[in-house]
Amino acid sequence: MTALAVVAPVDIAALRATLAAEAGPVRFIAGGTDMLIAGRPLAGTGLLVDLARVAGMAFISTDDADVRIGGATTVAALAADCGLRARIPALCEAAGQCGSVQIRNRATIGGNIANAAPAADLMPVLAAAGTRLALLKNDGTQYEAALCEYLPDSGHLIMEVILPGNALLPCSAFVKLGPRRDLTISRLNLAMLAEFQNSHFGTVRIAAGALGPVPLRMHLADAALGGRKLEPATLREFLSALATEVDAAIPGRNSQIYKRRAVAGLGLDLIAQAVGLSPRDRLFEEAVE
Amino acid sequence: MNQISRRVPLVDGVAKVTGALRFTADLDVEGLLHCALVFSPHPHARVASIDAASALAVKGVHAVFWHENTPARYYNSSIWFAGQEALADERMFAPIVRHVGDRVAAVVADTEEIARLAAKLVAVEYVSLPAIFDPEAALLHAGLAMREDGTPTFMNPVAYESFVRGDTEAGFAAAELVVETHITTPRSHHCAVEPHACIAKPEPDGRIGILSPCQSVFAVQAVVVQALGVPQEQIRVTKTPIGGSFGGKAEPILDPLCAFFALALGRPVMIRYDRHETFTATRTRSSVMGRMRLGLSSDGRILARETETLVDFGAYCTGGDYLPSSMLQRLVRLYDVPAERYRGRAVYTNTVPAGAFRGYGSPQIHTVAEITLDIAARRLGIDPVAMRLRNLVGPGAIEPWQGLDVGNARGRECLVRGADAFEWEARRQMGTGRGRWRRGIGVASATHINGCYPGFHEETTATLKLLPDGRAELVCALHDLGCGADTTLAQIAGETLGLRACDIAIVPADTDTCPYDLGTRASRMTYICGEAIRRAGVALAEAIRAAAVLELNTEAAGLRLEAGAVRRQDGSGLALSDLADRLVARGVELPAATETYRAQANPGSYAAHFAEVEVDRLTGCVRVTDYLAAHDVGRAINPMLVEGQIHGGIQIGIGYALYEDVALDRITGVMRGNSFSRYTLANASEMPPMRVVLIEEGEPTGPFGAKAVGEIATIPVAAAVVNAVNDALATELTHLPLVPERILAALG
Ligand SMILES: Cc1cc2nc3c(=O)[nH]c(=O)nc-3n(C[C@H](O)[C@H](O)[C@H](O)COP(=O)(O)OP(=O)(O)OC[C@H]3O[C@@H](n4cnc5c(N)ncnc54)[C@H](O)[C@@H]3O)c2cc1C
Repeated sequence: MTALAVVAPVDIAALRATLAAEAGPVRFIAGGTDMLIAGRPLAGTGLLVDLARVAGMAFISTDDADVRIGGATTVAALAADCGLRARIPALCEAAGQCGSVQIRNRATIGGNIANAAPAADLMPVLAAAGTRLALLKNDGTQYEAALCEYLPDSGHLIMEVILPGNALLPCSAFVKLGPRRDLTISRLNLAMLAEFQNSHFGTVRIAAGALGPVPLRMHLADAALGGRKLEPATLREFLSALATEVDAAIPGRNSQIYKRRAVAGLGLDLIAQAVGLSPRDRLFEEAVE
Repeated sequence: MNQISRRVPLVDGVAKVTGALRFTADLDVEGLLHCALVFSPHPHARVASIDAASALAVKGVHAVFWHENTPARYYNSSIWFAGQEALADERMFAPIVRHVGDRVAAVVADTEEIARLAAKLVAVEYVSLPAIFDPEAALLHAGLAMREDGTPTFMNPVAYESFVRGDTEAGFAAAELVVETHITTPRSHHCAVEPHACIAKPEPDGRIGILSPCQSVFAVQAVVVQALGVPQEQIRVTKTPIGGSFGGKAEPILDPLCAFFALALGRPVMIRYDRHETFTATRTRSSVMGRMRLGLSSDGRILARETETLVDFGAYCTGGDYLPSSMLQRLVRLYDVPAERYRGRAVYTNTVPAGAFRGYGSPQIHTVAEITLDIAARRLGIDPVAMRLRNLVGPGAIEPWQGLDVGNARGRECLVRGADAFEWEARRQMGTGRGRWRRGIGVASATHINGCYPGFHEETTATLKLLPDGRAELVCALHDLGCGADTTLAQIAGETLGLRACDIAIVPADTDTCPYDLGTRASRMTYICGEAIRRAGVALAEAIRAAAVLELNTEAAGLRLEAGAVRRQDGSGLALSDLADRLVARGVELPAATETYRAQANPGSYAAHFAEVEVDRLTGCVRVTDYLAAHDVGRAINPMLVEGQIHGGIQIGIGYALYEDVALDRITGVMRGNSFSRYTLANASEMPPMRVVLIEEGEPTGPFGAKAVGEIATIPVAAAVVNAVNDALATELTHLPLVPERILAALG
């Protein structure tokens, strides 16, 4: 039995060299918050590459048209980044609601994507933002793929997470519903990117997590809001679209009865956050009266 | 007063936070072997065969144990003295497994890693047997629990308790309102930070020494003796520091195995469970189905009450057969009910065993009773605080079941002063609000016992001895579970001797060096052990004064102990260390005193809790937004620790009301809530602001007037929170925990 070897490349050149030199299976570890938790056996052999110390893999660049985020950027860094908050507050919001302070300090965006948990909190935001990934194969070739095309089992390294500038919208929001408020795994989460001006929605893109293996884009909900005035009637249509989407996503599941109802509360919270209103605003009360 | 009513920091606090304190799993024991267990994946099955060859072939494995090569003796892990009669139905390893997570085999190896690896290689063949998960269905599996030859049958019910007082039919006939409820409480888990662990090591004299984070070294000894069939003298048990218990470590689960392995292999052995095993293979709180019928007059007087409880204690009885009577004991000491009828039963199911858990039946029964009372109050249109005041017992009341005096019972003051501080009236006027979020307030009263009197030789012996350095040594088989009992008791000792709590050196509980004590259970530490220590302290003070008479050439009567010295009335005197020096120099033995205190009473501790909640009608989520707990503690020896107990009790209770359930699957018997990611506790951000009101009216039979607070702190919480939710939503929710699904379902 050859034991598991661990390497911690110091920069991207060393990382590439490590990958090129390895013939056997390669696995990556970043924050380890998914990989190291009890109950998940670590592979006993092969090469484990530690991404946490690779210089140049943790960065947030928001000055250009596209927002680019290094694959090993921590969730805490996402939550705290002012530039990011200006471009896509929903991602900061989602990051700020991941796990606990300790988890956020270790957890990375690459890990959240590659771990591919149905409840992963960054995923619906990334899905709604039309995210693309810069990926690196072991043989050194680099390519770009849409988030929805990325296969976690491929073992390809997520070098960068790219939020294309032309898909970002001025308003965005993220909300989650778990068994408790803090340090909680989402039973349902929603993200939204939207144009909103003079009480009217323009383009709207909504995605939900924990309704299937990958984030669910909610086109019916987009359509219920897109181009419409923010008023009780619109909200009622939106809520009914959300319930329809939930029904279609998890028909017959034990959780369907609950989630199809609870999504209404979460949906109103989402809109309130996106347009900067309190969820206790009269408007929302009227929508559900 | 020097030490009493003072916020003295924990005597072991610094050692804990600096990591200097060693917990069992951290101890360095030379030649230690490690153990891993094999657990049943079936809820009920016969173990047809076990093939240990592959496991034994692993390098570093010393032995594999299962039912064929371990003692086939039945025992009961809840006994606390040798020879105690209890339904003995457990074995170290049985040929029939009775719950998912039941023990099947154990591998002992050089390291835990090897043991765990080899445990996976133990090949077990099972033949499935029919399993029962539902306590009502379990009643149909009826028969005597024990055969004449003493073998258990696992038939139901195991326990039956009934009580009748007065004419309930007449009471119901006269009632303006009769309310009937059906209430269920969940299986919750202790969630102590430290998982279960135990070390056993052969001693040179042929004995086995057990190092155990336990609630009673004598209970561990009794259980191990029963399981192994060895003489009592052969087993020595020492208590190690404990990282929380809440009752979860009251029963020695690992100790019999560990002791046997050490004996068989002649090597020290450690067993420690990981978190998953601590969830699935230790104990939970028993779940209770309660049916209550309450007859009330129009002004809210309880005229008659009928209660039926069905306790599900899981696969092994342990102490579960006491629960129906424990619940009755606590039920009847809260309100003055002229006509009462109670029937309690307890049953086996093929689920993880239940055991002791903070309050031992009290949270269950008071949850049933207090939710019912609130539903009645709402239906009658009476303020729930006023309704409780109308029925609460007062000082000197005699409870009707055992005829015990409840002592200086101040439940009324808890309600009145608590309601006042909580601004109950004003909040009631505010109403629930309209729309998505509804606000509600709830109240619940509770009572609990102080010790085991009149049962089980409720007594303890304390020895206090002057040390050469002027401090005092305390020997009293004390088991601090992390709640600060050592600190409180050191304060009591210190108070009598003019010393500080930190001047009292507490000898760890040890079956060799300490006199027998029942252990930390039944809210007895402060009230029972505290009184024994106070008496020993008074006696030692007397002995010190007598010894000082010669040295100071004065009369004993004028001497007082103060600030580590013995002083004359004019303030002059002698430091205790100097006194000790002089006595030693003269070859005189240092003063010591031993007192045995046998309890004379079992007064009630009382409480009233007030909760405010906000419920989201769209998501079903509940937030506890404000909380106030009023407690009749007699006298708070250490108000900081009393508040700490109450804060922790509120945390457990909020979880009990809203989240906690190990969620045993009704079809497979598998526990779904078997890790901290699947078992939801109220964490810091769920905790409301908490205020504590202490009622300190003094209990004449308690040390310096003190009564217990440890268990009662969690007893009324769930009912207060549920009542607040029902207030907010105008619902009558009665099935705990109130998870969002249940709330939305109730809203229709
Ligand atoms: C207590 C706790 C609470 C949590 N709460 C939340 C929560 O609220 N919301 C949430 O979404 N998640 C939560 N998580 C899950 C976890 O923290 C996140 O999924 C996190 O983003 C994972 O990142 P990591 O760097 O720790 O991943 P790791 O554990 O290091 O890796 C996870 C997987 O991703 C792979 N991987 C890592 N980086 C890359 C990369 N750059 N390219 C390719 N593959 C890669 C690894 O090989 C591994 O398979 C929680 C976890 C814990 C333990």
